[in-house]
Amino acid sequence: MAVAPAPPLELATFAVRDVAAGTETELHDGVLTVDVPALEASVAGEPGLIGMTVHVVRPGEPVRVLNVLDAVEPAVKTDEPGTTFPGALGALSVAGAGRTHRLDGAAVLATADFFSAYDVTTLGVYPDGDSFVDMAGPAAGLAYWSATHNVVLSFTCDSEAPLAEADASIRRTTLRVARDLAATTLAAPPEHLKSLDLPAVPGDLPRVCVILQVASEGPLVDTYLYGRALRGLVPTLLDPREVLDGALTAGQYDWAGVRDPTYFFQRSSLLRELLRRHGADLCFCGVILTLAYLPSAVDKERSALMAAKLARQAGADAAVLTTFQSGNSHTDTVLTCRACERMGIRTVLLLAETNGGLTDHVPEADCIVSVGNEEELVPEWRPERVVGGERTWTGRPARDAGPVPAVTYLGSLCQMGDMRMRAVSW
Amino acid sequence: MKVAHYVNQFFAGLGGEDAAGTGPVRLDGAVGPGKGLGLDVAVTLAAGDDYFGEHEEDALAQLLRWLDEEQPEVLICGPSFGSGRYGYACGSFAREAARRGVPAVCGMHPESPGVLAAEGAAYIVPTDVKVTGMRDALPRMAALARRLAAGETLGPPDQEGYLPRGLRRNEIAELTGAQRAVDLLLAKLAGDVRTEVTAAFDDVPPPPPVVDMTTATVALVTESGLVPRGNPDRLESNRAHAWLSYSLEGLDGFEVADWESVHGGYDTSVANADPDRLVPLDVVRHLVAEGSIGSLHETLYTTTGNSTPVATAAKFGQEIAQRLRDAGVQAVILTGT
Repeated sequence: MAVAPAPPLELATFAVRDVAAGTETELHDGVLTVDVPALEASVAGEPGLIGMTVHVVRPGEPVRVLNVLDAVEPAVKTDEPGTTFPGALGALSVAGAGRTHRLDGAAVLATADFFSAYDVTTLGVYPDGDSFVDMAGPAAGLAYWSATHNVVLSFTCDSEAPLAEADASIRRTTLRVARDLAATTLAAPPEHLKSLDLPAVPGDLPRVCVILQVASEGPLVDTYLYGRALRGLVPTLLDPREVLDGALTAGQYDWAGVRDPTYFFQRSSLLRELLRRHGADLCFCGVILTLAYLPSAVDKERSALMAAKLARQAGADAAVLTTFQSGNSHTDTVLTCRACERMGIRTVLLLAETNGGLTDHVPEADCIVSVGNEEELVPEWRPERVVGGERTWTGRPARDAGPVPAVTYLGSLCQMGDMRMRAVSW
Repeated sequence: MKVAHYVNQFFAGLGGEDAAGTGPVRLDGAVGPGKGLGLDVAVTLAAGDDYFGEHEEDALAQLLRWLDEEQPEVLICGPSFGSGRYGYACGSFAREAARRGVPAVCGMHPESPGVLAAEGAAYIVPTDVKVTGMRDALPRMAALARRLAAGETLGPPDQEGYLPRGLRRNEIAELTGAQRAVDLLLAKLAGDVRTEVTAAFDDVPPPPPVVDMTTATVALVTESGLVPRGNPDRLESNRAHAWLSYSLEGLDGFEVADWESVHGGYDTSVANADPDRLVPLDVVRHLVAEGSIGSLHETLYTTTGNSTPVATAAKFGQEIAQRLRDAGVQAVILTGT
């Protein structure tokens, strides 16, 4: 069974080469200007929030952005702007078709210090580790957003309001700002228009699917599909263009380096690579969304089997297995690998290492891509300016955090394969 | 450049197997293979292979004292080729020297026990299994020693000609992880199976079964992060640096008011509603009372098993196992989370 040919997704790309605070929000000649006071005022009335301050930061500036929750690429559906990020922000519709304008080289970063406002340890599972984006210094380039022009939204939560309410407002506001920044291009003729199509492929090219692993364990550690947390998900088949067009959004703030911010769903290097090669040396037969951090051996085995079964139903000869976080989730990945291989579906795994260690392994996992060693220390750097708070989530002073492990940098060891880092033996 | 060189009794010219019990010896200048290094060897240190194996602590202490006095810029050990005892001594001495700030180079066969003994602290040049590899090994060892003595940082093992030291260093690849994954997958489909990560796992043989549980002493050990409420000894929620022990005397179970898990890797709410779910103290007390189990070892050993490097976890395991063995424990209920 092939993925039914659907209308193509047309992506118009507008390049951003600078960002600045100004009196109007507009994109002119590659310069994104942001009306900061208007943006800050726009958060009034959002439940659970006291306020939001907005900063612009550029590549090369001596700035550390800390306590980063998510990164979002500015994007808007041009035919129906009200359906952008369907379910999570806009009205429900199926993502992945029609025209989308996106700002290339720009990002919206959300930051908040939940740890000061709440006792997060009362949650069963709560985010661990710090989350940095350095715009210069030894870690510039570890986070993808060292190289983008960023509009940073720093939220202050109302500690009297429920934490989940504040988090929902932060996620909604971040997506709204991303949509509104891209909406500055609505009247502009589309630049660099590219059609993402999945035509039927003749011949016997190998059929490849992606088994995309995410996690959803509760407030602050959830991933959202069309606006709903994925807790309890049974593996589900998606068109890759849905993922690239805002169907998946992040709300998972654990271990910065090994989680997938919304931006990586929107820009997935893996999905774009498979679309690019579709019809050339492979046939891309779909994305199977699956969960990690399942709580018991039975849950893990069940999900692994159902993901593999769905891959077989999609006619896959081979599957790329991505991983979300590490430790516990490595078990979900290798069990899914084993289930696929036993059904004759060949696999490659993307995994982050912890000082040479994998938490779990099966003999069938004979083809693994290393996205790097989480624990390697990055030399100390003292930024001239910090955005996102004066102390980090784990209580370090923001300007004097000392050497930190690579996993501190947002998306640095993305196990969807968006970065170029890898670990090698020394 | 000041070099110290370590050899065994044979290469020091003290004798063969008959002299293997010789204690540490200090000789001026280069001796034996040291003369072939082409370096200014200030001192040659030697010990008998058996002596080192049987009196490791004393041998190391003496060798390290001499090293302290000499203050060389680099230590060279061997080459020991395929020799087990000699290789072990080389690897152990090189490890301790390197940890005290004297860079060390060994030469040995990759399967020598000295490779493990060096624990990645020293650089090991792979050699032939036989002594006929001497001519090939010496210049390669000398070249690395020269650079280490000059304070240079060495490049990756395959380029520099030493064995990987068990480290995994980050580098920036030409292609994204996604592109590499698709390439590897298509190659695998074509029959060319390659990987960037080779998993190495211990194969732990199970001990023989306990013959009679009604007379056995049973211990409770856990990585579940179970600690007295309030976590007085500040056990980490991940990347634990230590294991802890607590007395179980007088306890019939783990009360919610007194115990909790501080583990950061799983949802602790169900566990903390009844900590006996993590470590079954209540059930074991019952089994002891009814006579199914001989007795309970009255100490709980606990840590957090979450993002713990394998080497750290192995060390915790060895240390706890030693305590249990010393206490005459025959069986352990080891609960993981």
